[in-house]
Amino acid sequence: MDIESDQTATDEERMETIRMLRDSAAGFLGSDLGRVRRLRFQDPGFDRSTWREMCGFGWLSVRIPEAQGGLGFGMQEYVALAAELGAALVPEPLILVGLSARCLPQEYLPAVLSGDRIILPAWQEEAGTLADAPRQTTFDGRKLIGEKRFVMHARGADAFLVTTMSGLALVEAMASGVSLTAEQTQDGGHYGTLRFDGAVANAIPDAPFDAAVADATLASAAYLLGLSERAFRMTIDYLKIRRQFGKPVGAFQALQHRAVDLYLELALTRASVENAATTIDSNVSGSQQRAAVSRAKARASRCASLVCREAIQLHGAIGYTDEADIGLFLRKAMTLINHLGSERAHRARYVALMKVA
Amino acid sequence: MSTGEDLNALDDATFRATVRDWIEKNYPPEIRNPTKRLHFAENKPWYLALSKKGWLAPGWPREHGGMGLSATKQLIMTEEFERHGCARLNDHGMTMLGPLLIRYGTEAQNARFLPKILSGEHIWCQGYSEPGAGSDLAGLSTEAVLDGEHWVVNGQKTWTTMASDANWIFMLVRTDKTVKKQEGISFLLVPMDVPGVTVRPILNLERHDDFCEAFFDNVRVPRENLVGEVNQGWTMAKTLLGFERIFLGSPRQASYALSRLELLAEHMGLADDAVFRDRHAQFELDLADHNTLFASFVARLRRGETLGADVSLLKISQSELFRRITDYMLEIAGENAALIEPIEGNRDLNPAGLFLQARPSTIYGGSSEIQRNIIAKNVLDLPG
Ligand SMILES: Cc1cc2nc3c(=O)[nH]c(=O)nc-3n(C[C@H](O)[C@H](O)[C@H](O)COP(=O)(O)OP(=O)(O)OC[C@H]3O[C@@H](n4cnc5c(N)ncnc54)[C@H](O)[C@@H]3O)c2cc1C
Repeated sequence: MDIESDQTATDEERMETIRMLRDSAAGFLGSDLGRVRRLRFQDPGFDRSTWREMCGFGWLSVRIPEAQGGLGFGMQEYVALAAELGAALVPEPLILVGLSARCLPQEYLPAVLSGDRIILPAWQEEAGTLADAPRQTTFDGRKLIGEKRFVMHARGADAFLVTTMSGLALVEAMASGVSLTAEQTQDGGHYGTLRFDGAVANAIPDAPFDAAVADATLASAAYLLGLSERAFRMTIDYLKIRRQFGKPVGAFQALQHRAVDLYLELALTRASVENAATTIDSNVSGSQQRAAVSRAKARASRCASLVCREAIQLHGAIGYTDEADIGLFLRKAMTLINHLGSERAHRARYVALMKVA
Repeated sequence: MSTGEDLNALDDATFRATVRDWIEKNYPPEIRNPTKRLHFAENKPWYLALSKKGWLAPGWPREHGGMGLSATKQLIMTEEFERHGCARLNDHGMTMLGPLLIRYGTEAQNARFLPKILSGEHIWCQGYSEPGAGSDLAGLSTEAVLDGEHWVVNGQKTWTTMASDANWIFMLVRTDKTVKKQEGISFLLVPMDVPGVTVRPILNLERHDDFCEAFFDNVRVPRENLVGEVNQGWTMAKTLLGFERIFLGSPRQASYALSRLELLAEHMGLADDAVFRDRHAQFELDLADHNTLFASFVARLRRGETLGADVSLLKISQSELFRRITDYMLEIAGENAALIEPIEGNRDLNPAGLFLQARPSTIYGGSSEIQRNIIAKNVLDLPG
């Protein structure tokens, strides 16, 4: 079903697709975080055979048109899936490889969508900026020169899709003139710094990079939403079982109000993320779409940060241990809140876009 | 006991310069701005340097080997330590047990224990919390039963900070199960290097082994190691929590974090950003006002007044300011907020590490929620 071209799909059919996508993802991912824990601080930080399975389910193909071998789903389907990924703290780079896949011409797609080749996008040149026009990386149609930073999962890539001052370029990870260093991130993954010293690359013309970034940014907001919702549920469960002063700590009204504040924040975030998805699926202008995405990512980053901080506080000392699963949520949130644009950056972009509109 | 020179005679500016100069000359550079809390094996040179100088216990009276410093001067010292990025020591002996013994200990106990805190021979940890007794500390169940001239201790403590470094633990134990829970608790000093004590480190959220669980299996402790009267431990523990709240209310962590926020902003190119400047100014004023409040509490303490429940204000104010500053660090750090190691290897730029360290500050020493309960009930006299 290709949502963008097939406008005959009814709302009900669509809800059903979303439900199925969600259920099958939740079923496959399960609730045990043992796998996620084991993959931390190991290269490349995710599991290649699980990756292939996920690709087999079509999770990477959600936004690829049917004509190109994808599922051709809309953004509402994609955020439903991404929220499940977040709830399970999935370390596999679906959102980022999905970004690359949207930009790649047909001939590259089969190997990517099957999971054989992992092509990661590399756009960032300094910390704290949005994926705007690159200022340093040059490409003369053959050779790449420059540096990209904060490339998540970089050590797991076979190739990189690099933004340059003259369009996108695809470069093999093993090509000569490419060097990679990595720094560990709180979630147990890493950020790579890529240096290109005349590495030979292929031009990727006419790619819908901005739209692909918008998708990925919103998917990342949905991931944060799913992560926050689960951290919240775990915290509520804990408040019900942890007893002090002869009763569950959740019986104390001070904590009940705090829980409700988080619940409100989650409701706002879900509303914002779903609104942005609907906006992208509709025919409104690009700047309206981008504004909605910025609004959603700013909200989701804020929400994840708040919920996870409060989750630790409400767990007490056990929340400050590595062995308690709640910490995995905080550490993943620390890694993602500023990735694909921080709350600050998106707030600023939202205001700028609304001025124009 | 030897007493160093009386630095109270110096004016504040001279005192500050003296402290700064001495730190710069004597602080071991390799442990400046540690990214994690250091173990005793790592901070020992600094511990011993302060010990030799007579500067380990700024707040203790001079007759017990402390510096007997005024509140303002203690603050100045704290600021200078933080400014330089000095490591936190294994300080339970100086900040908690020492003041308690000075107040409640016998002369024999003082003579036996205080000098060894100052020499670094005894490293102490605090054994209050248990798996079932966190906020509800009085619900603790580790027990001590008298058997001739010994107390026999059985039970488990947890979240015991730096227990793996310590050779002594001061603990709360149940000595009477038949009375109201607060009235059957005693305060006991227990050596850690004896049969029956097992310590297991716990990795914290920074994946560092700061705290531990400690198990006590028929541990025999001489009778004279009990401080104060039997079953009076709760009252003393509350006093000790008061000291702890004063210590945790000192601007140490917030002032460290604020100075590093400034450096982070410079690194991020935000130092002149109007929004940043406003947020920074807000933190600066919060800290300045907190400092003044803190100094007024310390002054009351030094006049010999007993502090009331309102000392909890300091703990809330300091820990939550520390948290807010580090929350903001993550907001402005961009992708750097995800890094485990300091930015570009510069230990002054460690937003994620500081953010994580700030998390438990509102949990340990009585959580923010419990401090608020205490104030609502005991200061504001609210019903319930
Ligand atoms: C880093 C760290 C170091 C520590 N070091 C030591 C140490 O050296 N020695 C030691 O003895 N202990 C230590 N502790 C333990 C600390 O004292 C306890 O964590 C603290 O008392 C809270 O207990 P808890 O963790 O069991 O949380 P719980 O009591 O289980 O509380 C869970 C949540 O419920 C809230 N809550 C509980 N009761 C109420 C109420 N009545 N009203 C409203 N909210 C409530 C709490 O505030 C918290 O948010 C340390 C803890 C940490 C995190």
